[in-house]
Amino acid sequence: MSFQAAYQKPLPQILPETAGFWEATRRHELVVQQCAACGQRQYFPRLLCHRCLSDDLAWAPVSGQGVVYSFTIIRQVLHASFAPDVPYVYAIVELAEGVRLIANVVGIAPEQVRVGLPVKVVFAEVTPEVSLPQFEPV
Amino acid sequence: MSLRGGSAIIGYGETVFAKAKHSAGRSPLGEQCTAARLALADAGIAKDEVDGLVAIGPLDHGPSWSMDLAEYLQLRPSFLDTPYFGGAAGNAGILHAAAAIQAGLCRTVLLVGGSVSQPGPPAPHGVEDSVSFERDFDTIFGPMGDNSAYALIKRRYQHEFGAGEEGFAQVVVNARRHAARFANALLTTPVTVEDVLNSRMICDPLRMFEIVMPCTGAAALVLTSAERARDVRQRPVYLLGGGQAIDRGMWTPAYGREASLTTSPIKRSAASAFAMAGLTAADLDFLQLYDCYTITVIVALEDVGCCAKGEGAEFVARTDLSSTGTLPVNTDGGQLGRGQPYGACHFLPVIEASRQLMGRAGALQVADARFGLANGNGGAMANQCTLILGNEIP
Ligand SMILES: [Zn+2]
Repeated sequence: MSFQAAYQKPLPQILPETAGFWEATRRHELVVQQCAACGQRQYFPRLLCHRCLSDDLAWAPVSGQGVVYSFTIIRQVLHASFAPDVPYVYAIVELAEGVRLIANVVGIAPEQVRVGLPVKVVFAEVTPEVSLPQFEPV
Repeated sequence: MSLRGGSAIIGYGETVFAKAKHSAGRSPLGEQCTAARLALADAGIAKDEVDGLVAIGPLDHGPSWSMDLAEYLQLRPSFLDTPYFGGAAGNAGILHAAAAIQAGLCRTVLLVGGSVSQPGPPAPHGVEDSVSFERDFDTIFGPMGDNSAYALIKRRYQHEFGAGEEGFAQVVVNARRHAARFANALLTTPVTVEDVLNSRMICDPLRMFEIVMPCTGAAALVLTSAERARDVRQRPVYLLGGGQAIDRGMWTPAYGREASLTTSPIKRSAASAFAMAGLTAADLDFLQLYDCYTITVIVALEDVGCCAKGEGAEFVARTDLSSTGTLPVNTDGGQLGRGQPYGACHFLPVIEASRQLMGRAGALQVADARFGLANGNGGAMANQCTLILGNEIP
């Protein structure tokens, strides 16, 4: 059985402007876009810099270290494919570099999660093409 | 050119709200046509006088809804709009209509919205229909739609300001207290703070009673030029000021590097509205705040300027927000007390403001009300549209 057949949850579509991000997560690296013209870092990946509109963007590695900015515990799901995981943590993580992203916090009982909890990125290899960034306590 | 005093609400109508399980045989077109008929009758305006239409369709209908409704009602408007960005869309539609009236594109605009609620879980928007960046960088992590978005905001708020649960629960207590005395409300059983805290945890830290119940219903109102409003049946309710502001995309609170989760764009939309009206928060006799979740009321009271940032929950807990209180809020019961008919809910704050300013709120009338605020909130607080209304032009 392939990864793809086993994984029932929604998957990202790989677009020209996001392919570099997903190529990096497959190598277990977390990257954000950095603008060569103005230095702005941004997440999620875009076709241009949201600050100065330059399209001269490069992939910049980030530490993968951050803190839980906010979170909730999902007990009822919208998308049935997540049902086996409840309760699970859906969170905003603020990276040390200042970028915020949505991810799950794993490797900890949901009731133990707190705002400000230091976390680091880990990667869930869900299909041959896609490894999702997740976060676990440092 | 300012919109101050250039147009007025002269009538409104609502269908009888119903829970999803009691909605058999009702349709979005039927709901909206009924609300439209009631609003025109209330205003004393003949159908043929309507030359503008602002219509908000059900979530699963595209932006051609206003054209389809015009066909169904055989209207021939010279101004059409289908504002389509969540709960701020109703007030935004009023701003668009007011601007069109003052620009001479039309004179009398019918505004209507509503839908039919289906039994079962809410439509999973944010899953199938989202834009690419929500689909690819949010949905894959299993959010619970609006619930998880507002839960993230409430959690962050409680963290930043050390707010407990009492103020949030008091928002529900106030809503239910008003709803119990309002004719067209579905959640009419009064509750205590303890009842709210004992209601089931749905999406931490959001409990069941803090979350709106979707329902069936439609609402409509009629906006016309101030000149035309001089000679109508009801006391005109003038649009004195308005503003809209956004700081993020529709559903994901994570994005937008500059955006705070706990200071909303109401700060800007309300500032614009007050500046246009030449009034301040101290001049308000009441506020009608879009309350799909308790957190919206608390943040709105802060960002409108009724209390300091971070003090909203405590402010709610120690202030009488009832129709006879020191600061009446959501005097019809709000959506937390009435239910949320999608599309109609966008117009409920401005309709209750009109009801109060026309002096037609009966047992829930705010004494001597002259000026009030109606706020619309869309996309997990990302999009805000604030109106200041008055029964006189100061
Ligand atoms: Zn740039």
